[in-house]
Amino acid sequence: MRTITIKLPQYHGVPVEAERISPDVLSGLSIKEISEIEVWQGNRRLRLSDIFLISGDPDPDRPENTRIVLEGDLSKVKRIGESMSAGVVEIIGDAGMHAGNSMRGGTLEIKGDAGDWLGREMRGGRIIVEGNAGNYAGAGYRGERCGMRGGEIIIKGNAGAFLGEHLCGGTIEVMGDAGDFPGCANQGGTIRIHGHAHLPGAEMVKGSITAGSARVLPSFAYEDIVELGGLTYKKYVGDLVENGKGELYVASGQIGK
Amino acid sequence: MIIKGGIVYDPANGIFGEEMDICIENGRIAEDAGGEVIDARGLLVMPGGVDAHSHIAGPKLNTGRIMRPDDSRMGTEPRTGVCRPSTGYTVPNCYAIGYRYARLGYTTAFEAATPIIEARHTHEELEEIPIVDKGALTLFGSNWTVMECVRENDMEKLAAYVAWGLRAARGYGVKIVNPGGGEAWGFGSNVKSIHDPVPHFDVTPAQIIRALAEVNERLRLPHSIHLHFNNLGRPGNYTTAIETLELLKDIKPSRMRQVVHVAHMQFSAYGGTGWKDFESKASVIADYFNQTDHATMDLGQIIFGPATTMTADAPLEYANARIGHQKWSNHDIELEESSGVVPWVYMRKMPVNAVQWAIGLELALLTKDPWKVVMTTDHPNGGPFVNYPEIIALLMSREKREEEMKTLHEVVRSRSTLPSIEREIDWSEIVIMTRAAPARILGLEDKGHLGIGADADISIYNIRPDEIDPSKDHAKVKAGMSRAKYTIKGGAVVVRDGEIVAAPQGRTYWVDAAVPERDMDRMLSSLKEKFERYYSIRMSNYMVQDAYLSNPFVVRAGVQPLKEVI
Repeated sequence: MRTITIKLPQYHGVPVEAERISPDVLSGLSIKEISEIEVWQGNRRLRLSDIFLISGDPDPDRPENTRIVLEGDLSKVKRIGESMSAGVVEIIGDAGMHAGNSMRGGTLEIKGDAGDWLGREMRGGRIIVEGNAGNYAGAGYRGERCGMRGGEIIIKGNAGAFLGEHLCGGTIEVMGDAGDFPGCANQGGTIRIHGHAHLPGAEMVKGSITAGSARVLPSFAYEDIVELGGLTYKKYVGDLVENGKGELYVASGQIGK
Repeated sequence: MIIKGGIVYDPANGIFGEEMDICIENGRIAEDAGGEVIDARGLLVMPGGVDAHSHIAGPKLNTGRIMRPDDSRMGTEPRTGVCRPSTGYTVPNCYAIGYRYARLGYTTAFEAATPIIEARHTHEELEEIPIVDKGALTLFGSNWTVMECVRENDMEKLAAYVAWGLRAARGYGVKIVNPGGGEAWGFGSNVKSIHDPVPHFDVTPAQIIRALAEVNERLRLPHSIHLHFNNLGRPGNYTTAIETLELLKDIKPSRMRQVVHVAHMQFSAYGGTGWKDFESKASVIADYFNQTDHATMDLGQIIFGPATTMTADAPLEYANARIGHQKWSNHDIELEESSGVVPWVYMRKMPVNAVQWAIGLELALLTKDPWKVVMTTDHPNGGPFVNYPEIIALLMSREKREEEMKTLHEVVRSRSTLPSIEREIDWSEIVIMTRAAPARILGLEDKGHLGIGADADISIYNIRPDEIDPSKDHAKVKAGMSRAKYTIKGGAVVVRDGEIVAAPQGRTYWVDAAVPERDMDRMLSSLKEKFERYYSIRMSNYMVQDAYLSNPFVVRAGVQPLKEVI
């Protein structure tokens, strides 16, 4: 497997638009060609090597055989792995906003925290975050009716607000807590939150949300105690505001009725 | 400037694909000229396109932009040395509207609906639309003063109000949208037929339409009334359409043009009793147009994919929002109108959408006289205007229509007559439907043709009419029409090889109609009371001031003889 290493030697306050750091774009290029790729930092047009130190296996390969390793404080480096369809992107550190957006395949691993809009509108592939994720992970961008449609996002820490907003498919798993309104307007995706969820499933019509504990909206109807994987959950159906048939499972916390 | 050797189509002057040179002097077509020579040998040359019905400016556009940030992502183009940045597909920003029209070879576009009270905003946006000449039609169909004049049968006063309204709005013509319905909607209802009285006003849509048509001719306005029918968008509404057109048959036009222009006919050519047995009645409508001469139409062709519906027909938009489970906006515009905006998606496999698509094409193909038909998508209601080349290709090629129909829901074959239509429109008819007819229908004497003295608005396409067969080479037709080789606006090259090379400011047309002073005084005294009692703003703040039109073009009209004006 071809490995390309992209190091950020210093923190940048001005965001870098790094949508071209993706196996689909870089795999077929030599290290020299990669260095000359155009990126925008704020309103300045730069070469990738003006900001990053680039090294790695010199010979081009197919995207699925390509591993891109990013190192440094990339919290202001946006759109890493945008629309990637194969291969691996590994970020050793924090990732900026829109990491893995519109992803179709492959794997994006973030060892630190992810910014807002992680995996927004993704269609396939896998994102694993060791730390926390910001707001709108797996959501649709402003005004969209569909967020994530497929694939998987695993967040080992906590997620911010509006996790999986307008989710149309795929799976999101959060080991910690989720912020306000996870699974808002869910239209068929699956969200599992091991910790606490605040007001999950508002305007949800389809799909399911499971939470370790939750503050449940009054527009969800309590149905029954059910068993899932050896654990008991309270099952709710909603959001009744939207005539929704979404399923909400809560392991503990208050009973709505 | 001389355009040499092009294959010129100028049907208004009886030129149907002749090789000839065109001379331009001082922004107009001239007998001869010097200067720059444009080599157009063998290429398709025609007058600049004229869009007679498009929603391109005004508060409803901004409402659409605000509620659709998802749309703005669809058409982003960075700025260039000449162009400012573009965004959006169905609701593009102002700059993009001008650039995209110019790239299609269009040089004139008219905004189809502006309430008087919102006109200042409309002009602020029109000012920011580069290149094209433009104008805005003014809404009168659910206006309190109009309805009161109709109730009192006071046509002098109504004429004074229309003239004043056009001046206040710097408007170009009389637009009527679901007459009476906009007012009824303020009380949570709608008018169900043209004889259904408007609540609290005791007038019917039929009376409103007829009165405005009579006044339109009394004022000798360049354009006829421009009518969006009652019951638009509802199954079975073709009867309303024909009933309404019958109302206007005996009115004498004051100019060499129609008495009524029907907006987006496609949306009013529906049969069936509901969505389940929804079917095309385009053949009935086209027959009516073939047998009469007082009406013209624009298509309102739908384009599959995203659209944004926006209209003063607020009850319709409420219904749309409910059907589509969409986000929606609905608005009451004081004493004048109501309106709504709802995003939409037309889907190939959706039976109703497939039939709607067929209806637009049927109307164009079954109406024998192309001078009665204007090609539009009712942008952005049926889809964005950038898709005009797609419609041109569909009209010119039966093969393309067959290919498309294979991708649609099968009802398109049983509920429309499109599969049996063999007609393929030729270049002359395309030029009429996109240039000559809309210019004549709007009353723009210097547009839509290339006679001596006409505006030097010309489009040249990378299409060799002597070499290609549009019936077979429809992909080339579409590609060629999408990016003009040259667009010349007022004698200046604005597009070269599909790229914008200059972005001058176009003109804004409006109509100044004179009426006898005593009628105006009488009308104003009752109008002042309305402002005191009902309007949220004062009359002095209501008029669009001259400062809002940096490049106005005033067309004179009115009941008084024209000689005193000039």
